[in-house]
Amino acid sequence: MLKMTHLSKVYRTEVVETYALRDFNIDVKEGEFVAVTGPSGSGKTTFLTIAGLLETFTGGQYHLDGIEVSQLDDNARSKIRNEKIGFIFQAFNLIPDLNVFDNVEVPLRYRGMKAPERKERIMGALERVGLASRAKHYPAELSGGQQQRVAIARALAGSPRLLLADEPTGNLDTQMARGVMELLEEIHREGATIVMVTHDPELAARAQRNVHIIDGQVVDLAEDPRFHAHVVEARQGQGRS
Amino acid sequence: MNIQIRPILIALRRHKAGTALIALQIALTLAIVCNALFIIHQRLANLSQASGVDEANVFVISNQWANADESTSQVDAQVRADLLALRQLPGVLDAAPASGYPLQGGGWDNLVTMTLDQVKPTTDAAVYLGDEHFINALGLKLVAGRNFRPDEVSVVGTQQNITPATVIVSKALADRLFPDGKALGKSFYAMGTTPSTIIGIIDPLHRQGVDLSSNRYAGQSLIWPLRSADVRGIHYIVRAKPGQLAAAMREAPKALLAQSRMRIIDPKDGIQDYAAIRQKVFETDRGMAVLMAIICVVLLAVTAAGIVGLTSFWVGQRRKQIGVRRALGARQRDILSYFLTENLLITGGGVLLGLLLAICMNLWLMLRFASQPMPMAYLIVGVLLLLVLGQGAVLAPALKASRVPPVEATRSV
Repeated sequence: MLKMTHLSKVYRTEVVETYALRDFNIDVKEGEFVAVTGPSGSGKTTFLTIAGLLETFTGGQYHLDGIEVSQLDDNARSKIRNEKIGFIFQAFNLIPDLNVFDNVEVPLRYRGMKAPERKERIMGALERVGLASRAKHYPAELSGGQQQRVAIARALAGSPRLLLADEPTGNLDTQMARGVMELLEEIHREGATIVMVTHDPELAARAQRNVHIIDGQVVDLAEDPRFHAHVVEARQGQGRS
Repeated sequence: MNIQIRPILIALRRHKAGTALIALQIALTLAIVCNALFIIHQRLANLSQASGVDEANVFVISNQWANADESTSQVDAQVRADLLALRQLPGVLDAAPASGYPLQGGGWDNLVTMTLDQVKPTTDAAVYLGDEHFINALGLKLVAGRNFRPDEVSVVGTQQNITPATVIVSKALADRLFPDGKALGKSFYAMGTTPSTIIGIIDPLHRQGVDLSSNRYAGQSLIWPLRSADVRGIHYIVRAKPGQLAAAMREAPKALLAQSRMRIIDPKDGIQDYAAIRQKVFETDRGMAVLMAIICVVLLAVTAAGIVGLTSFWVGQRRKQIGVRRALGARQRDILSYFLTENLLITGGGVLLGLLLAICMNLWLMLRFASQPMPMAYLIVGVLLLLVLGQGAVLAPALKASRVPPVEATRSV
């Protein structure tokens, strides 16, 4: 479903080159629920933005649902984002001017879907996340957990092949986070492929498989000395505080 | 392109103040620009009004007499001597005495009635006094009837009131008085107790004035066969031979001064060709047209700046939202079309209100300043202008918005 091979992402300035991802390899199979973890600045978000075709990469190969995406133009990338990927953002990213129904409708409109089908899908997705009764509410009238459920409904409405979640519970309290996580697990059980970036080990543990990123590379936690170095750093940091 | 009118309207409802202000600005601009364009067009149309005069070859000498004690016959003798001298100049085709001339800027006009006891006048006519050379000296076109005979021309002294029995009228006046087209041989009264019979018809013959009251009676003029012997002064209409205008204008005052030095010809505007006469008489119209044009340009610029400013602000404010839309599958052209459509809706609302305001403003101008009803074409032009202006003004910020990358969705505000 999602396969990156020797992928790199370099940010260049006049004087320095910074590798956000270096020789990055990952293979997510269809139906998997993968949690991507790693310390701040390790490259988790860069991985997610490249996986979601929000950014281009510098080198290597990326196959999404069998399509090599490096040569695609902006329109083709938009089409893939719209049809194959569902995004769940940490900050929900609902459009404040639109009500719940209209927010969920946004990606469907860009797909050029007819109004009756849009309505059916929107109400189906909202029922799926338990917010059908809030269709006419505006985001500001909902709790954080409800807003994230709307965002999940928006991601699900287009029946994407891949769900990408960026710290989906990062802005939620424990109870709301639990509810959202249960929803994601339920969606996964129904067959969705989910890649979730998180720094929360508890959430990561609930995924089927964990991928750890350090310094822009996927590492094997048991063998990589850098992981141990990070653990030591983290412990020292805790000791200082 | 994915046109999303309903979501845009919903979003605009939540930005009422900015939307209403821009729509109102567009409405006011449309109302003012439509009326200003109409006024500009009217003024410019004035500038090109046909006078009927052979303007390329005619000039006018404004001659004031220095001796106010002379009798009518003495003044007339001098006038006849002057005219003879002018006609004998090698570069001159003809010369005539005149009380006034077309496009002079103001002059004598009389109310016209069909009968002596008529209370409400039929119309108004500009009055010219001239002799049998008047038509030829101005280069006017006689379209029906005949010119005055020398024996029909009388001399009229200072403040003397004579109503000649014959008259030559402009076609506009003839048609106004006798719509059946049979004016020759018919009579009318022009503030006198005796009727004047039409012996000739000229087309066209502009009035002296170019103001609103003149426009109401556009082209309605009459010529009476009278040679002015007013002690205050006289105009000489001189028609030069083709290509000899400048030379004739140089020689004419010399010839007059050789006849008598008891006269004043203003060195500044005592001798004017028709280019100068036209320039002077339409100065106000030209100035008004320029002023209106400046007002239009400033208003349009301010409106465009308002649209650019508000849209740029909205693009900046919605940067993250645009990124989210891009992340959810919007193409660059979808974002571009979003902002263009949004502007079209705001401009459309402003334009509808503006049409109403434009019509109200025109009605007010009609009531207050006797303006004419504004043709629909000005409204159509105004609407198109504002729509194009709106789309043009929004293009740069909309393009900027379309270039917001989808990764903006993941950035914290």
